[in-house]
Amino acid sequence: MKVSLFATCLVDMFQTNVGKATVELLEHLGCEVLFPKGQICCGQPAYNSGYVKEAKEAMKNMITAFNDAEYIVCPSGSCAYMFREYEKVFADDAQWSARAKKLADKTYELTQFIVEVLGMTDVGASFNGNVTYHMSCHMTRLLGVKSAPLTLLDNVKGLTYTELPNKTTCCGFGGTFSVKMTPISEQMVDEKVQHIIETGAAYLVGADEGCLMNIRGRAERLGAHVQVLHIAEILNSRKAEVRA
Amino acid sequence: MPMKVGNESFNNRVGEGIQNTFMRSAVSGAQDRLETNRQLATEELGNWEEWRSLGEEIRQHVLANLDYYLTQLSEQVAARGGHVFFAATAEEAQVYIADVANKKQAKKIVKSKSMVTEEIDLNHYLEEHVGCRVIETDLGEYILQLDNDLPSHIVAPALHRKKEQVQESFQHHHQYEGTERPEELTKHARKMLRDDYLTADIGITGCNFAVAETGSVCIVTNEGNADLSTALPKTQITVMGMERLVPTFEELEVLVNMLTRSAVGQKLPSYVTVLSGPRQEGDVDGPEEFHLVIVDNGRSEILGSEFQAILQCIRCGACANICPVYRHVGGHSYGSIYSGPVGAVLSPLLGGYDEYKELPFASTLCGACTDVCPVKIPLHELLHKHRQTIVEKEGRAPVSERFLMSIFGIGSSSSGMYKFGSKVASSVLKPLTKNDQLSKGIGPLKNWTDIREFPAPKKERFRDWFENRQKGDD
Amino acid sequence: MVGTIQNRETFIRQLSSRLQRSSIPTHVERPQWRYTPQHKTLQNLSQDELLGVLQKQCTRINTNCVVTSTADLATTLEKIIVDYNGGPIMTWQDERFDTYGLTALFSDTLPKKQIELHTWDPTIGKDNITLVEKANIGITISDITLAESGTAVLFSNPNHGRTVSFLPTKSIILMPKSSIVPRMTQAAVQIRERLQKGETLASCVNFISGPSNSADIEMILVVGVHGPMYMTYIIIDDL
Repeated sequence: MKVSLFATCLVDMFQTNVGKATVELLEHLGCEVLFPKGQICCGQPAYNSGYVKEAKEAMKNMITAFNDAEYIVCPSGSCAYMFREYEKVFADDAQWSARAKKLADKTYELTQFIVEVLGMTDVGASFNGNVTYHMSCHMTRLLGVKSAPLTLLDNVKGLTYTELPNKTTCCGFGGTFSVKMTPISEQMVDEKVQHIIETGAAYLVGADEGCLMNIRGRAERLGAHVQVLHIAEILNSRKAEVRA
Repeated sequence: MPMKVGNESFNNRVGEGIQNTFMRSAVSGAQDRLETNRQLATEELGNWEEWRSLGEEIRQHVLANLDYYLTQLSEQVAARGGHVFFAATAEEAQVYIADVANKKQAKKIVKSKSMVTEEIDLNHYLEEHVGCRVIETDLGEYILQLDNDLPSHIVAPALHRKKEQVQESFQHHHQYEGTERPEELTKHARKMLRDDYLTADIGITGCNFAVAETGSVCIVTNEGNADLSTALPKTQITVMGMERLVPTFEELEVLVNMLTRSAVGQKLPSYVTVLSGPRQEGDVDGPEEFHLVIVDNGRSEILGSEFQAILQCIRCGACANICPVYRHVGGHSYGSIYSGPVGAVLSPLLGGYDEYKELPFASTLCGACTDVCPVKIPLHELLHKHRQTIVEKEGRAPVSERFLMSIFGIGSSSSGMYKFGSKVASSVLKPLTKNDQLSKGIGPLKNWTDIREFPAPKKERFRDWFENRQKGDD
Repeated sequence: MVGTIQNRETFIRQLSSRLQRSSIPTHVERPQWRYTPQHKTLQNLSQDELLGVLQKQCTRINTNCVVTSTADLATTLEKIIVDYNGGPIMTWQDERFDTYGLTALFSDTLPKKQIELHTWDPTIGKDNITLVEKANIGITISDITLAESGTAVLFSNPNHGRTVSFLPTKSIILMPKSSIVPRMTQAAVQIRERLQKGETLASCVNFISGPSNSADIEMILVVGVHGPMYMTYIIIDDL
């Protein structure tokens, strides 16, 4: 099965290891991974800030870049949802609406793709450690992917899972919200970090680098002893320990 | 701007909210409890999504036929001997109500909780222009009124007050000598208000829903204060936002149930009171005269606009009870009597962007509000529409931000620009980087690094790794 | 007496124009709603099962719920009155009290015990309010009883003062078992059917579910704010 990876800009520039883990995982599961070079950013930062005109330029670029993809897989629920949203954004645009819909229909978040398309619930991963999981808002509520990541984690050998208190509450990232409304964002992420500490878990896992960068950045600043990992890194772990 | 709360700027209000530790623990405690109750009360139905669809459909049907149903309502109220006044603005409503009060030579008015009367700042107007006392009878509102404070939650107005503060207010205003126990404080209010009900000239209420077919108004309370406010005074004035109506008793039933389950997790509150016109011939209690004031005050501009869905709102407050932003900043930070997500959508529409342009941005668009809304208002989408309007139609975004976003537009649509930018990012940010991390950013990064670490951009981008790996394969 | 309507024309015209039409529709039919979950809730339950639902709900709304046969009603009511420290009592004027066999209790037993009892009397006008305000107990009858929410539906009329159910400190509501329906849905349908038969709607229809309460101070529940502080439902097994 040919899979076109939509890596996201955060992964491309900052969390390259998440991209690598995603590629290796998908290959391990028998997929041929392609990386359409024209891809840049899905346009979400501008779109969510109200700059729809600017965002549309980014979106058109993505529609073109992924035009020939069979499946599009993205290690971010939020960015995958953005592709789904294109259909709405271009609904009244005769030139782009059909292409936007086509793109939306073939886009999946990574864990969603594994469970819904590949039909797998056990990826054969093993990981020794106590893990708690942050349910990202866009992935859970907008994309509607609630159980796939938990199902996959459940089948990782050696992994123990502790539920995060208020698990569906936003971490305070919200894209540009994190820099426009920093004092509010700070309170939100502080409560999130506090809840993570309460679980006693050594690892906080999520499926969205935006949220994870926010939580990781705050946890590090506060000196909290928790390692923040993307779910691809756990699912790609075949040894007893996570890869550096 | 009558609906406005305080004169502080948005940032100052938020700062004050965040510093107010009592308020914050009260709000988070209330949120957790109310949201748990809501979940239990909606899940026990087993088919809550069907209820939500029904609630949405009823509200949309009413809005699509608002001219028809309001006409029918007014005919029915008049047929039962009630007087109906259509107020296009807050001022028209104020003047009409003051006029009625003056004609009745009212000295004392009892009032049950109503958001729309807060919105039109009715109490102050009546005190000034009629010279009468207006007494709020809802316990929470009663407490706030003593100190000229304003509600911070649609359903629990005095959520931000400590019981010790209530005790102090009672001591200060009533020479109260009891303890700070809520039972005792409540008993005191009961005693004080009992006499007011019996001696008031006019009772003023809000309206949870009006019923077009029967010319009725429905008021929902747990305290029973609306019943006493309407059963005893000779004149009743009910003020309603123009969109708050249903076709018949059958839709009333559905929405009242959804309202109370969503607001506090109750199947029904202690009192659901349906009042139709003044007392009927031979009745001994109930008002001799009934006035219904139907308020537009900016709502008709929302009708037929891309924001119309906000008029579906039944004021349950469930969106505030789940909102992570409301949780940390509290109701007063919104600077409006309408707080929480519904307030962030509605306040700019009713009060204008000058006053409320920050509110739509005070959200992570997490969508929790949309999920719990019993009438399926796409709240986070409406917040996003506001953002788009503010940026693109109103041109109110800061210049620096507009500049950044135009760079974004170019950088994210042109492969060459992105390649260049992302490649040099690592070297440009190098001087600020230590141990692969950025602790003191500049420009837009500063706000990030004020509270968090920022990862340094990798020298080898993911796309470079992928390309090199493929080359190796070949 | 017909009331007045002011300022309507321009107000409504603005709405029609926002709804993009030149005039108000002459008739609007309510659509067939896609979902009607309200009719499915608690459907197909027997009267005994509904009573069970009602009793369970009463435990959640601080309401005492007593079931009695018609024959034992007078004794049961007397006991509750005594438990509530007796009079003064205010009742509606309602023939059903006689039908339920309460004539002797009201006119003989209670007066002998020095328990003062008044009946709402439209001919004495405002004096009713004075009496009901001083009453310790108010006694009313539920016309429709909602199992799900533990609710009494009271209709006002010249003999049924609204205030009897909420001015006294304690409230006793008689509920014929035959009046129990699953939920508010059935009450709404019944009310509309009565209207369609030409009945006039009561000026006050009150759906009462337990004593008055508030959690406005630090979210701590206090029972008994403006209305009654104690409430008892007496279910009369009339089936």
